Amino acid sequence: MGSREKILSALGTARNRGFEVELSFPILSFGDRVCAFVENLKKAGGESIVVEGELSKILAREVGDADSVVDTTSILYGSFSYKKGEEVDVAILGADLAVAENGALWIDTEDRYPRSLLTLARKIVVILEEDAIVDTMHQAYERVDFSKVSYALFMSGPSKTADIEQSLVFGAHGAVAMTAVLIPSKRA
Amino acid sequence: MKNHAAEAEKFVADSARAHWHDEALWYVRRKRDVAASQLPEWEELREVAGKIKKNTVENLAYYLELFEREAQNNGIEIYWAMDARECNETVEKILREEGARRIVKSKSMLSEECGLNDYLQERGYEIVDTDLGERIVQLHGDRPSHIVLPAIHLKKEDVSEIFHEHMATRKGESDPEYLTKEARKSLRRSFLEADAAITGVNFALAREGAFVVCTNEGNADLGTAMAGVHIACMGIEKVIPSARELGVFTRLLARSATGQAVTTYTSHFRRPKAGGRLCVVIVDNGRSGLLSSGESEALSCMRCGACMNSCPVYRRSGGHSYGSTIPGPIGSVLSAAGNMDEFASLPFACTLCASCDNVCPSSIALHDLLYGLREDAIKSEAYRGKRTLLKAAAWLLLHPSLYAFVMNLYRRLYPFIPRRILYGRWNVWGRERELPEPARRSFAQIYEEMSDGK
Repeated sequence: MGSREKILSALGTARNRGFEVELSFPILSFGDRVCAFVENLKKAGGESIVVEGELSKILAREVGDADSVVDTTSILYGSFSYKKGEEVDVAILGADLAVAENGALWIDTEDRYPRSLLTLARKIVVILEEDAIVDTMHQAYERVDFSKVSYALFMSGPSKTADIEQSLVFGAHGAVAMTAVLIPSKRA
Repeated sequence: MKNHAAEAEKFVADSARAHWHDEALWYVRRKRDVAASQLPEWEELREVAGKIKKNTVENLAYYLELFEREAQNNGIEIYWAMDARECNETVEKILREEGARRIVKSKSMLSEECGLNDYLQERGYEIVDTDLGERIVQLHGDRPSHIVLPAIHLKKEDVSEIFHEHMATRKGESDPEYLTKEARKSLRRSFLEADAAITGVNFALAREGAFVVCTNEGNADLGTAMAGVHIACMGIEKVIPSARELGVFTRLLARSATGQAVTTYTSHFRRPKAGGRLCVVIVDNGRSGLLSSGESEALSCMRCGACMNSCPVYRRSGGHSYGSTIPGPIGSVLSAAGNMDEFASLPFACTLCASCDNVCPSSIALHDLLYGLREDAIKSEAYRGKRTLLKAAAWLLLHPSLYAFVMNLYRRLYPFIPRRILYGRWNVWGRERELPEPARRSFAQIYEEMSDGK
């Protein structure tokens, strides 16, 4: 008998899913999700900019005089190339989901670029429509279609650590800075 | 047997440092309180999390098989390991297949439990812990003293010295910002050169066949992005039904652990990257035994560390005093339930204040479990002396006239017993306390006199 069988048999013969636990209580909701998102991302060390005027101008300003920029959205630059392991100054990404309660942005590589871009870019700029902000993680996971995911993450602010005497330092390993660029909803 | 009290004594000998440790952890606990208070549904969430974990653990075979099937459909390789040795061997086998020598590892308490680092190092592998706290501890030849804050027992001056010795940082420079940036530079090289990445698993999603790793530093993401093979080690209790339940746990985990609303990186791995391998090792190592014991509730733990930050004993005695991979209230339960002969002193490293119960995001009744474990602990060989004494006391109390005689003798002799005998080495209780002066007459005597007078 292999270890798999040994472990499974030690867990008993019952093979059922038990019951589904209900979430039967009121869940936090925000009057102004955008405002809550901006505030919570700020607490996590990230910046937010609400787009007024032309998006590419705002992106150009965020990029500044950076030498190496990877724009996966093709808004600022028409195309991009990125090889695994390259350290770049700025990565421009798109997100179609974010969470008000914690300032997290859903970033899915969709296998369009090597995963290392998300941690080897010094600064991450994420473009997001305000409509894509949900209240909490509950609604967020309802929206994710995992059947399409290879690797995706909720990212809330730049990389950080407080492992030395509880002193918060940004840029432990990954991005040192993060900016969310918010496109106002069309209804407004 | 490990002796918590004796180890704790060493820790409190440096009173200033012990005090600092206590304050540092209480600060984290207070941040947790603030975060929790911002969610009106906090208590309901804790309750639901406990129920989800309990349901999953009670039907663990179903969820593990479902996870295995779905994960394999997604191209994830699944391995099973009965114990620590098999876990280590499995990891090494994969590394050998890949010809990997240089390994980066993000935090995994399971790998600590299995002694994976030592196992691989003895066989010539270069293994680098990439979580900053774990890196500090690794360079120091030390062990983590906390599951979320591995280097909480060290001060920045200690870190400065460790880094100066191993990374040639400026001597005496102990600014956390400077030290962190130096560690970033040094570890960046390890990341870029890594052949393999090892991570833990925070949550495995059965229905999606995916798993989640939470970090603040992004070290798991960077390591796994660079290395050709990603090996994730998970305990059998890490599986939850689906992403729906993940919403509950990601809301609780970071708030309980550090007071953040969510970890900076909450990363979902579902398919290997192009040309890479994604392997999950599912490890039992005593967990299935725990399932059929009275302490099965401990399998609901999500390793946030809140019970440690809250525990008055942990804060004042330090993580190393427990002598187990996982310290604090949950560590005491897991260790004592798993190996009572070794860890019989841990159920007593507790004041039964229940502060841990109140912060546990899975609503584990930790202090009840510890209280229950004391009954087993007292039966262990280590407590034979105490057990005999208690039996003698019980016998004495069952014989009232003999008891009255003995106590009467004690009252009469008390003024003549020299202090060095009364407070000799045998009197552990009296080390920090004064015995009350006995009353001249016993309650029974006074009662009798008063009744006679009526």
